[in-house]
Amino acid sequence: MSDSRITVVLSQTRSKDPIKRHLEEEIATSLLLDPGVDFAVVPHVYDLYPEDTGLLYLKSVQGHLVLLSWLYPRAAHWVLDRNGVKGREGATLLKSLGQESDEDEVGDGEAEEARGIGAANAPDRQVFCLDLRAYDDPAVYVEEIKRLARAAAVKLVPLTLGLKVETKPLQLPVIPFAPRKDEGPRKDEGLPVIGEVGERRWYPVIDYTRCTNCMECIDFCLFGVYGLDHHETILVENQDNCRRGCPACSRVCPENAIIFPEHKTAAIAGAPGEGPGALKIDLSKLFGAPNAIEMAALERDTELIRDGRDAVGLTVGIPKRQEGKPAHEKDDLDRLMDELDGLEL
Amino acid sequence: MSDQLTFSMGKYEARFPSDRLYARNHMWLQQSAGHYRVGLSAYAVRLLQDIYFLDWTVEPGASVRAKQEIGEVESSKALSSIYAPGDGTVVNFNKELLKDPTAINVDNYGAGWLFEFEPAGADLMAAEDYLKYLEGNWGEAQRHIKGQMND
Repeated sequence: MSDSRITVVLSQTRSKDPIKRHLEEEIATSLLLDPGVDFAVVPHVYDLYPEDTGLLYLKSVQGHLVLLSWLYPRAAHWVLDRNGVKGREGATLLKSLGQESDEDEVGDGEAEEARGIGAANAPDRQVFCLDLRAYDDPAVYVEEIKRLARAAAVKLVPLTLGLKVETKPLQLPVIPFAPRKDEGPRKDEGLPVIGEVGERRWYPVIDYTRCTNCMECIDFCLFGVYGLDHHETILVENQDNCRRGCPACSRVCPENAIIFPEHKTAAIAGAPGEGPGALKIDLSKLFGAPNAIEMAALERDTELIRDGRDAVGLTVGIPKRQEGKPAHEKDDLDRLMDELDGLEL
Repeated sequence: MSDQLTFSMGKYEARFPSDRLYARNHMWLQQSAGHYRVGLSAYAVRLLQDIYFLDWTVEPGASVRAKQEIGEVESSKALSSIYAPGDGTVVNFNKELLKDPTAINVDNYGAGWLFEFEPAGADLMAAEDYLKYLEGNWGEAQRHIKGQMND
Protein backbone atom coordinates (compact mmCIF):
# COMPACT_ATOMS: atom_id res chain seq x y z
CA MET A 1 0.00 0.00 0.00
CA SER A 2 1.33 3.43 -0.86
CA ASP A 3 1.95 6.31 1.50
CA SER A 4 -0.99 8.16 0.04
CA ARG A 5 -3.56 6.42 2.19
CA ILE A 6 -6.11 8.72 3.63
CA THR A 7 -7.01 8.81 7.25
CA VAL A 8 -10.67 8.90 8.22
CA VAL A 9 -11.64 10.16 11.65
CA LEU A 10 -15.16 10.05 12.98
CA SER A 11 -16.06 12.70 15.54
CA GLN A 12 -18.74 11.19 17.72
CA THR A 13 -22.05 12.72 18.53
CA ARG A 14 -22.75 13.47 22.17
CA SER A 15 -26.37 12.75 21.56
CA LYS A 16 -28.08 9.60 22.68
CA ASP A 17 -30.15 9.55 19.55
CA PRO A 18 -30.12 5.89 18.50
CA ILE A 19 -30.40 6.83 14.83
CA LYS A 20 -27.21 8.88 15.01
CA ARG A 21 -25.41 6.19 16.94
CA HIS A 22 -26.48 3.58 14.48
CA LEU A 23 -25.20 5.59 11.53
CA GLU A 24 -21.82 5.99 13.23
CA GLU A 25 -21.58 2.32 13.95
CA GLU A 26 -22.52 1.30 10.43
CA ILE A 27 -19.90 3.58 8.91
CA ALA A 28 -17.29 2.46 11.42
CA THR A 29 -17.96 -1.17 10.75
CA SER A 30 -17.40 -0.70 7.02
CA LEU A 31 -14.30 1.43 7.38
CA LEU A 32 -12.63 -0.65 10.06
CA LEU A 33 -12.74 -3.54 7.63
CA ASP A 34 -11.48 -1.46 4.72
CA PRO A 35 -7.75 -2.01 4.18
CA GLY A 36 -7.59 1.12 2.00
CA VAL A 37 -8.08 3.67 4.78
CA ASP A 38 -6.90 4.28 8.30
CA PHE A 39 -9.90 4.78 10.50
CA ALA A 40 -10.33 6.06 14.04
CA VAL A 41 -13.07 7.42 16.26
CA VAL A 42 -12.55 10.42 18.53
CA PRO A 43 -14.91 12.14 20.96
CA HIS A 44 -16.75 15.17 19.61
CA VAL A 45 -13.94 17.15 17.98
CA TYR A 46 -15.19 20.52 19.22
CA ASP A 47 -14.72 19.44 22.83
CA LEU A 48 -11.11 18.29 22.52
CA TYR A 49 -8.33 20.07 24.39
CA PRO A 50 -4.73 20.19 23.12
CA GLU A 51 -3.65 17.47 25.55
CA ASP A 52 -6.47 15.11 24.69
CA THR A 53 -5.42 11.93 22.95
CA GLY A 54 -8.07 12.39 20.30
CA LEU A 55 -6.61 15.73 19.26
CA LEU A 56 -3.04 14.47 19.47
CA TYR A 57 -4.05 11.73 17.09
CA LEU A 58 -5.65 14.18 14.67
CA LYS A 59 -2.53 16.34 14.74
CA SER A 60 -0.35 13.35 14.02
CA VAL A 61 -2.12 12.69 10.73
CA GLN A 62 0.00 14.24 8.01
CA GLY A 63 -1.66 13.06 4.84
CA HIS A 64 -5.13 13.79 3.57
CA LEU A 65 -7.74 13.66 6.26
CA VAL A 66 -11.46 12.96 6.15
CA LEU A 67 -13.41 14.10 9.17
CA LEU A 68 -16.91 12.78 9.67
CA SER A 69 -18.74 14.95 12.16
CA TRP A 70 -22.19 16.14 13.17
CA LEU A 71 -21.28 19.67 12.20
CA TYR A 72 -21.45 21.77 9.10
CA PRO A 73 -18.31 21.08 7.06
CA ARG A 74 -17.29 24.71 7.32
CA ALA A 75 -17.62 24.59 11.09
CA ALA A 76 -15.72 21.32 11.31
CA HIS A 77 -12.92 22.64 9.10
CA TRP A 78 -12.36 25.74 11.19
CA VAL A 79 -12.64 23.86 14.46
CA LEU A 80 -9.81 21.67 13.22
CA ASP A 81 -7.88 24.71 12.05
CA ARG A 82 -8.27 26.47 15.39
CA ASN A 83 -6.99 23.38 17.14
CA GLY A 84 -3.93 23.05 14.98
CA VAL A 85 -5.17 20.47 12.49
CA LYS A 86 -4.66 22.45 9.34
CA GLY A 87 -5.04 21.85 5.67
CA ARG A 88 -6.86 22.99 2.60
CA GLU A 89 -10.60 22.51 2.34
CA GLY A 90 -11.07 19.42 0.22
CA ALA A 91 -13.99 19.28 -2.18
CA THR A 92 -16.46 16.48 -1.70
CA LEU A 93 -19.45 15.34 -3.68
CA LEU A 94 -21.54 15.14 -0.54
CA LYS A 95 -23.77 17.93 0.58
CA SER A 96 -24.11 19.29 4.05
CA LEU A 97 -27.26 19.54 6.06
CA GLY A 98 -29.93 21.61 4.41
CA GLN A 99 -28.04 22.06 1.18
CA GLU A 100 -30.51 21.79 -1.68
CA SER A 101 -28.39 21.61 -4.80
CA ASP A 102 -24.74 21.06 -5.54
CA GLU A 103 -24.44 24.38 -7.35
CA ASP A 104 -21.62 25.93 -5.37
CA GLU A 105 -20.02 23.10 -3.51
CA VAL A 106 -16.89 22.60 -5.55
CA GLY A 107 -14.70 25.60 -6.22
CA ASP A 108 -16.83 27.83 -4.04
CA GLY A 109 -13.88 28.29 -1.70
CA GLU A 110 -11.88 30.17 -4.31
CA ALA A 111 -14.30 33.07 -4.57
CA GLU A 112 -14.55 33.38 -0.82
CA GLU A 113 -10.82 33.23 -0.33
CA ALA A 114 -10.43 36.38 -2.35
CA ARG A 115 -12.43 38.29 0.21
CA GLY A 116 -11.11 36.88 3.46
CA ILE A 117 -7.56 37.07 4.71
CA GLY A 118 -7.08 33.32 4.33
CA ALA A 119 -5.79 30.70 6.70
CA ALA A 120 -2.29 30.99 8.05
CA ASN A 121 0.19 28.16 7.69
CA ALA A 122 -2.15 25.67 6.11
CA PRO A 123 -0.12 22.78 4.74
CA ASP A 124 -0.89 21.61 1.28
CA ARG A 125 -2.82 18.55 2.22
CA GLN A 126 -6.56 18.32 2.01
CA VAL A 127 -9.03 18.05 4.80
CA PHE A 128 -12.42 16.76 3.77
CA CYS A 129 -15.21 17.40 6.23
CA LEU A 130 -18.36 15.37 5.77
CA ASP A 131 -21.60 16.26 7.51
CA LEU A 132 -23.14 13.21 9.14
CA ARG A 133 -26.49 14.97 9.42
CA ALA A 134 -26.94 15.15 5.67
CA TYR A 135 -27.65 11.52 4.74
CA ASP A 136 -29.33 8.65 6.52
CA ASP A 137 -27.57 5.98 4.51
CA PRO A 138 -24.11 4.98 5.79
CA ALA A 139 -23.23 3.65 2.33
CA VAL A 140 -23.27 7.22 0.97
CA TYR A 141 -20.42 8.16 3.28
CA VAL A 142 -18.51 4.95 2.78
CA GLU A 143 -18.69 5.26 -1.00
CA GLU A 144 -17.53 8.86 -0.94
CA ILE A 145 -14.63 7.99 1.33
CA LYS A 146 -13.60 5.18 -1.01
CA ARG A 147 -13.75 7.61 -3.90
CA LEU A 148 -11.61 10.14 -2.02
CA ALA A 149 -9.16 7.40 -1.08
CA ARG A 150 -8.77 6.40 -4.71
CA ALA A 151 -8.38 10.01 -5.80
CA ALA A 152 -5.82 10.69 -3.09
CA ALA A 153 -3.76 7.69 -4.12
CA VAL A 154 -3.55 9.07 -7.65
CA LYS A 155 -3.27 12.78 -6.98
CA LEU A 156 -0.96 13.06 -4.04
CA VAL A 157 2.08 14.17 -6.00
CA PRO A 158 0.68 17.31 -7.66
CA LEU A 159 -0.99 18.30 -4.43
CA THR A 160 2.19 18.34 -2.41
CA LEU A 161 4.10 20.80 -4.59
CA GLY A 162 7.39 19.15 -3.84
CA LEU A 163 6.89 18.90 -0.12
CA LYS A 164 7.31 15.44 1.18
CA VAL A 165 4.13 14.41 2.86
CA GLU A 166 4.15 11.26 4.84
CA THR A 167 1.09 9.63 6.17
CA LYS A 168 2.20 8.50 9.54
CA PRO A 169 -0.69 8.13 11.91
CA LEU A 170 0.02 7.64 15.56
CA GLN A 171 0.39 3.97 16.31
CA LEU A 172 -2.45 3.07 18.58
CA PRO A 173 -3.08 -0.05 20.55
CA VAL A 174 -5.61 -2.25 18.86
CA ILE A 175 -8.85 -1.81 20.68
CA PRO A 176 -11.36 -4.59 20.22
CA PHE A 177 -14.47 -3.45 18.45
CA ALA A 178 -16.80 -4.21 21.29
CA PRO A 179 -18.67 -2.38 24.01
CA ARG A 180 -16.38 -1.14 26.71
CA LYS A 181 -16.94 -0.05 30.25
CA ASP A 182 -17.00 3.68 30.39
CA GLU A 183 -17.88 6.00 33.19
CA GLY A 184 -18.71 8.67 30.61
CA PRO A 185 -22.21 9.77 29.78
CA ARG A 186 -22.84 6.97 27.32
CA LYS A 187 -24.14 3.73 28.67
CA ASP A 188 -24.19 1.65 25.53
CA GLU A 189 -20.95 2.81 23.98
CA GLY A 190 -20.26 0.66 20.98
CA LEU A 191 -17.22 2.16 19.22
CA PRO A 192 -13.58 2.13 20.28
CA VAL A 193 -12.86 5.78 20.91
CA ILE A 194 -9.48 7.49 21.22
CA GLY A 195 -9.50 9.34 24.51
CA GLU A 196 -12.15 10.19 27.00
CA VAL A 197 -15.44 11.93 26.39
CA GLY A 198 -15.04 15.26 28.16
CA GLU A 199 -17.18 18.22 29.05
CA ARG A 200 -19.02 20.13 26.38
CA ARG A 201 -17.14 23.24 25.35
CA TRP A 202 -18.37 26.50 23.86
CA TYR A 203 -16.23 28.87 21.81
CA PRO A 204 -16.16 30.55 18.42
CA VAL A 205 -14.02 29.58 15.48
CA ILE A 206 -13.11 31.95 12.68
CA ASP A 207 -13.56 31.13 9.01
CA TYR A 208 -10.51 32.89 7.61
CA THR A 209 -11.78 32.61 4.06
CA ARG A 210 -14.43 35.13 5.15
CA CYS A 211 -12.69 37.08 7.91
CA THR A 212 -11.39 40.47 6.77
CA ASN A 213 -9.62 41.27 10.04
CA CYS A 214 -12.01 44.17 10.65
CA MET A 215 -11.76 43.83 14.46
CA GLU A 216 -15.45 44.29 15.19
CA CYS A 217 -15.49 41.05 17.17
CA ILE A 218 -12.60 42.07 19.41
CA ASP A 219 -14.29 45.44 19.98
CA PHE A 220 -17.62 43.86 20.82
CA CYS A 221 -16.55 40.96 23.02
CA LEU A 222 -15.86 42.17 26.54
CA PHE A 223 -14.61 38.84 27.82
CA GLY A 224 -11.19 38.71 26.21
CA VAL A 225 -11.89 35.83 23.88
CA TYR A 226 -10.21 37.45 20.91
CA GLY A 227 -6.62 38.43 20.47
CA LEU A 228 -4.07 39.23 17.81
CA ASP A 229 -1.16 37.14 16.64
CA HIS A 230 2.29 38.46 15.74
CA HIS A 231 0.99 39.55 12.37
CA GLU A 232 -1.88 41.51 13.90
CA THR A 233 -4.32 38.91 12.69
CA ILE A 234 -7.43 38.29 14.74
CA LEU A 235 -7.60 34.95 16.49
CA VAL A 236 -9.69 33.17 19.07
CA GLU A 237 -7.07 33.44 21.75
CA ASN A 238 -8.77 32.40 24.96
CA GLN A 239 -11.41 29.90 23.95
CA ASP A 240 -12.63 29.16 27.42
CA ASN A 241 -13.17 32.81 28.27
CA CYS A 242 -16.19 32.53 26.02
CA ARG A 243 -19.55 32.45 27.74
CA ARG A 244 -21.47 29.27 27.21
CA GLY A 245 -24.42 29.79 24.93
CA CYS A 246 -23.46 33.35 23.98
CA PRO A 247 -23.09 33.80 20.20
CA ALA A 248 -23.22 37.60 20.32
CA CYS A 249 -19.94 38.28 18.46
CA SER A 250 -21.15 36.11 15.60
CA ARG A 251 -24.21 38.31 15.25
CA VAL A 252 -22.06 41.43 14.92
CA CYS A 253 -19.54 39.97 12.46
CA PRO A 254 -20.19 41.70 9.11
CA GLU A 255 -18.87 38.75 7.11
CA ASN A 256 -20.59 35.99 9.04
CA ALA A 257 -17.12 34.58 9.57
CA ILE A 258 -17.57 33.65 13.22
CA ILE A 259 -18.94 30.19 13.72
CA PHE A 260 -20.41 28.70 16.87
CA PRO A 261 -20.65 25.15 15.59
CA GLU A 262 -23.25 24.16 18.16
CA HIS A 263 -25.61 27.07 17.80
CA LYS A 264 -29.03 26.12 16.56
CA THR A 265 -29.23 28.96 14.06
CA ALA A 266 -27.81 27.54 10.87
CA ALA A 267 -26.08 30.74 9.77
CA ILE A 268 -24.25 30.96 13.11
CA ALA A 269 -23.41 27.26 13.14
CA GLY A 270 -21.49 27.47 9.87
CA ALA A 271 -24.06 26.49 7.25
CA PRO A 272 -22.82 26.91 3.70
CA GLY A 273 -23.68 30.29 2.26
CA GLU A 274 -25.83 32.39 4.51
CA GLY A 275 -29.18 30.71 4.23
CA PRO A 276 -30.69 28.57 6.91
CA GLY A 277 -30.74 24.86 6.36
CA ALA A 278 -33.88 22.79 6.36
CA LEU A 279 -33.55 22.21 10.04
CA LYS A 280 -35.86 20.73 12.55
CA ILE A 281 -38.79 22.80 13.57
CA ASP A 282 -37.59 25.45 15.97
CA LEU A 283 -40.18 25.97 18.64
CA SER A 284 -38.22 28.63 20.51
CA LYS A 285 -40.62 31.36 19.53
CA LEU A 286 -43.52 29.42 20.98
CA PHE A 287 -41.55 28.79 24.13
CA GLY A 288 -40.88 32.41 24.94
CA ALA A 289 -37.95 33.62 22.87
CA PRO A 290 -37.26 37.36 22.99
CA ASN A 291 -37.15 39.55 19.91
CA ALA A 292 -34.01 38.70 17.97
CA ILE A 293 -32.85 42.26 17.41
CA GLU A 294 -31.43 43.08 20.84
CA MET A 295 -30.38 39.51 21.39
CA ALA A 296 -26.65 40.13 21.01
CA ALA A 297 -26.61 42.95 23.55
CA LEU A 298 -28.85 41.01 25.93
CA GLU A 299 -26.60 37.98 25.69
CA ARG A 300 -23.54 40.06 26.42
CA ASP A 301 -25.18 41.92 29.31
CA THR A 302 -26.17 38.66 30.88
CA GLU A 303 -22.57 37.53 30.91
CA LEU A 304 -21.31 40.87 32.18
CA ILE A 305 -23.72 40.86 35.10
CA ARG A 306 -22.76 37.30 35.91
CA ASP A 307 -19.20 38.57 36.22
CA GLY A 308 -20.27 41.33 38.58
CA ARG A 309 -19.73 43.93 35.88
CA ASP A 310 -22.17 46.55 34.64
CA ALA A 311 -24.44 45.92 31.71
CA VAL A 312 -23.54 48.08 28.74
CA GLY A 313 -26.57 47.50 26.53
CA LEU A 314 -26.06 48.95 23.09
CA THR A 315 -23.43 51.50 24.11
CA VAL A 316 -20.16 49.61 23.58
CA GLY A 317 -18.66 47.98 20.52
CA ILE A 318 -21.78 48.12 18.41
CA PRO A 319 -20.89 47.67 14.75
CA LYS A 320 -20.52 50.75 12.64
CA ARG A 321 -20.95 48.81 9.47
CA GLN A 322 -24.45 49.91 8.54
CA GLU A 323 -23.52 53.01 6.60
CA GLY A 324 -22.54 52.53 3.00
CA LYS A 325 -23.26 48.84 3.01
CA PRO A 326 -26.19 47.48 1.07
CA ALA A 327 -28.77 46.01 3.40
CA HIS A 328 -28.30 42.31 3.87
CA GLU A 329 -30.88 40.58 1.79
CA LYS A 330 -33.34 38.86 4.05
CA ASP A 331 -33.19 35.12 4.04
CA ASP A 332 -35.94 32.70 4.92
CA LEU A 333 -34.99 32.74 8.55
CA ASP A 334 -35.18 36.52 8.76
CA ARG A 335 -38.58 36.48 7.15
CA LEU A 336 -39.77 33.79 9.48
CA MET A 337 -38.53 35.74 12.49
CA ASP A 338 -40.28 38.86 11.26
CA GLU A 339 -43.53 36.99 10.88
CA LEU A 340 -43.25 35.52 14.32
CA ASP A 341 -42.48 38.83 15.91
CA GLY A 342 -45.84 40.00 14.67
CA LEU A 343 -47.73 37.12 16.17
CA GLU A 344 -47.22 37.89 19.84
CA LEU A 345 -47.36 34.29 20.85
CA MET B 1 -53.24 13.28 40.77
CA SER B 2 -55.33 16.23 41.74
CA ASP B 3 -57.95 17.93 39.60
CA GLN B 4 -56.93 18.64 36.09
CA LEU B 5 -58.08 20.50 33.02
CA THR B 6 -57.69 19.28 29.49
CA PHE B 7 -57.03 21.00 26.21
CA SER B 8 -57.46 19.34 22.83
CA MET B 9 -54.50 19.57 20.51
CA GLY B 10 -55.99 17.84 17.53
CA LYS B 11 -56.75 14.37 18.80
CA TYR B 12 -54.38 14.70 21.71
CA GLU B 13 -55.81 15.67 25.09
CA ALA B 14 -53.20 17.70 26.96
CA ARG B 15 -53.93 17.75 30.68
CA PHE B 16 -53.01 20.43 33.18
CA PRO B 17 -53.17 19.69 36.90
CA SER B 18 -54.70 22.58 38.81
CA ASP B 19 -52.38 22.15 41.79
CA ARG B 20 -49.74 24.34 40.20
CA LEU B 21 -49.17 27.55 38.27
CA TYR B 22 -48.25 28.00 34.64
CA ALA B 23 -46.06 30.45 32.74
CA ARG B 24 -46.68 31.78 29.26
CA ASN B 25 -43.67 29.87 27.97
CA HIS B 26 -45.52 26.61 28.77
CA MET B 27 -43.78 25.74 31.98
CA TRP B 28 -45.48 24.72 35.20
CA LEU B 29 -44.28 25.86 38.61
CA GLN B 30 -45.13 24.19 41.87
CA GLN B 31 -43.91 25.01 45.35
CA SER B 32 -41.69 22.27 46.71
CA ALA B 33 -39.29 22.39 49.66
CA GLY B 34 -39.00 26.16 49.74
CA HIS B 35 -38.50 26.59 46.01
CA TYR B 36 -40.62 26.30 42.95
CA ARG B 37 -40.13 23.19 40.97
CA VAL B 38 -40.45 23.87 37.24
CA GLY B 39 -41.29 21.56 34.36
CA LEU B 40 -42.79 21.57 30.90
CA SER B 41 -46.55 21.54 30.49
CA ALA B 42 -48.23 18.75 28.54
CA TYR B 43 -48.73 21.28 25.76
CA ALA B 44 -44.98 21.84 25.41
CA VAL B 45 -44.18 18.15 25.64
CA ARG B 46 -46.75 17.33 22.99
CA LEU B 47 -45.23 19.86 20.61
CA LEU B 48 -41.71 18.62 21.18
CA GLN B 49 -42.57 14.92 21.21
CA ASP B 50 -39.78 12.43 22.01
CA ILE B 51 -37.06 14.38 23.74
CA TYR B 52 -33.61 12.89 23.58
CA PHE B 53 -31.37 15.78 24.40
CA LEU B 54 -31.43 18.40 27.11
CA ASP B 55 -28.71 20.82 28.04
CA TRP B 56 -28.40 23.84 30.29
CA THR B 57 -26.45 26.94 29.43
CA VAL B 58 -26.49 28.48 32.91
CA GLU B 59 -25.01 27.14 36.11
CA PRO B 60 -27.02 26.28 39.22
CA GLY B 61 -27.43 29.40 41.32
CA ALA B 62 -27.53 31.69 38.28
CA SER B 63 -29.82 34.66 38.54
CA VAL B 64 -31.75 35.06 35.35
CA ARG B 65 -34.21 37.39 33.75
CA ALA B 66 -37.53 36.54 32.19
CA LYS B 67 -37.07 35.16 28.69
CA GLN B 68 -33.36 34.69 29.16
CA GLU B 69 -32.14 31.59 27.42
CA ILE B 70 -31.10 29.00 29.97
CA GLY B 71 -30.85 25.80 27.99
CA GLU B 72 -31.95 23.82 25.03
CA VAL B 73 -33.94 20.76 24.25
CA GLU B 74 -33.98 18.58 21.18
CA SER B 75 -36.37 15.88 20.13
CA SER B 76 -36.69 13.66 17.12
CA LYS B 77 -38.88 16.27 15.46
CA ALA B 78 -38.02 19.63 16.92
CA LEU B 79 -35.69 21.71 18.97
CA SER B 80 -36.08 24.72 21.15
CA SER B 81 -34.20 26.92 23.46
CA ILE B 82 -35.48 26.93 27.00
CA TYR B 83 -36.18 30.31 28.53
CA ALA B 84 -36.52 31.42 32.11
CA PRO B 85 -40.19 31.59 33.18
CA GLY B 86 -39.55 34.86 34.99
CA ASP B 87 -36.91 36.86 36.82
CA GLY B 88 -35.31 34.87 39.59
CA THR B 89 -32.67 32.32 40.48
CA VAL B 90 -32.20 28.90 38.98
CA VAL B 91 -31.42 26.96 42.14
CA ASN B 92 -30.53 23.61 40.65
CA PHE B 93 -31.32 21.21 37.84
CA ASN B 94 -32.84 17.77 37.76
CA LYS B 95 -29.66 15.76 37.33
CA GLU B 96 -31.48 12.59 36.37
CA LEU B 97 -32.69 14.22 33.18
CA LEU B 98 -29.16 14.96 32.04
CA LYS B 99 -28.44 11.26 32.03
CA ASP B 100 -31.73 10.39 30.42
CA PRO B 101 -34.36 12.97 29.52
CA THR B 102 -37.15 10.50 28.76
CA ALA B 103 -38.86 11.29 32.07
CA ILE B 104 -39.95 14.57 30.48
CA ASN B 105 -42.10 12.55 28.09
CA VAL B 106 -43.13 9.85 30.52
CA ASP B 107 -43.91 11.94 33.60
CA ASN B 108 -43.67 15.63 32.81
CA TYR B 109 -45.54 16.71 35.94
CA GLY B 110 -43.51 14.49 38.26
CA ALA B 111 -40.10 12.91 37.73
CA GLY B 112 -39.65 14.95 34.56
CA TRP B 113 -39.29 18.27 36.39
CA LEU B 114 -36.54 20.42 34.91
CA PHE B 115 -35.17 22.72 37.57
CA GLU B 116 -35.87 24.44 40.86
CA PHE B 117 -36.49 28.12 40.71
CA GLU B 118 -36.70 31.00 43.15
CA PRO B 119 -38.86 33.57 41.38
CA ALA B 120 -38.16 37.25 41.99
CA GLY B 121 -40.96 38.31 39.71
CA ALA B 122 -42.88 36.09 37.35
CA ASP B 123 -46.21 36.46 35.64
CA LEU B 124 -47.89 33.17 36.41
CA MET B 125 -51.34 31.80 35.71
CA ALA B 126 -53.66 29.33 37.35
CA ALA B 127 -54.56 26.31 35.20
CA GLU B 128 -57.88 27.87 34.10
CA ASP B 129 -56.17 31.01 32.87
CA TYR B 130 -53.41 29.03 31.19
CA LEU B 131 -56.08 27.06 29.35
CA LYS B 132 -57.67 30.28 28.10
CA TYR B 133 -54.25 31.47 27.05
CA LEU B 134 -53.72 28.27 25.07
CA GLU B 135 -57.13 28.54 23.45
CA GLY B 136 -56.33 32.06 22.35
CA ASN B 137 -53.00 31.05 20.83
CA TRP B 138 -53.60 27.61 19.42
CA GLY B 139 -54.40 28.80 15.92
CA GLU B 140 -51.24 30.85 15.69
CA ALA B 141 -49.12 28.10 17.17
CA GLN B 142 -50.35 25.70 14.51
CA ARG B 143 -49.66 28.22 11.78
CA HIS B 144 -46.17 28.71 13.16
CA ILE B 145 -45.41 25.02 13.04
CA LYS B 146 -46.96 24.45 9.63
CA GLY B 147 -45.19 27.51 8.28
CA GLN B 148 -41.83 26.04 9.21
CA MET B 149 -42.67 22.65 7.80
CA ASN B 150 -43.61 24.15 4.45
CA ASP B 151 -40.50 26.26 4.12
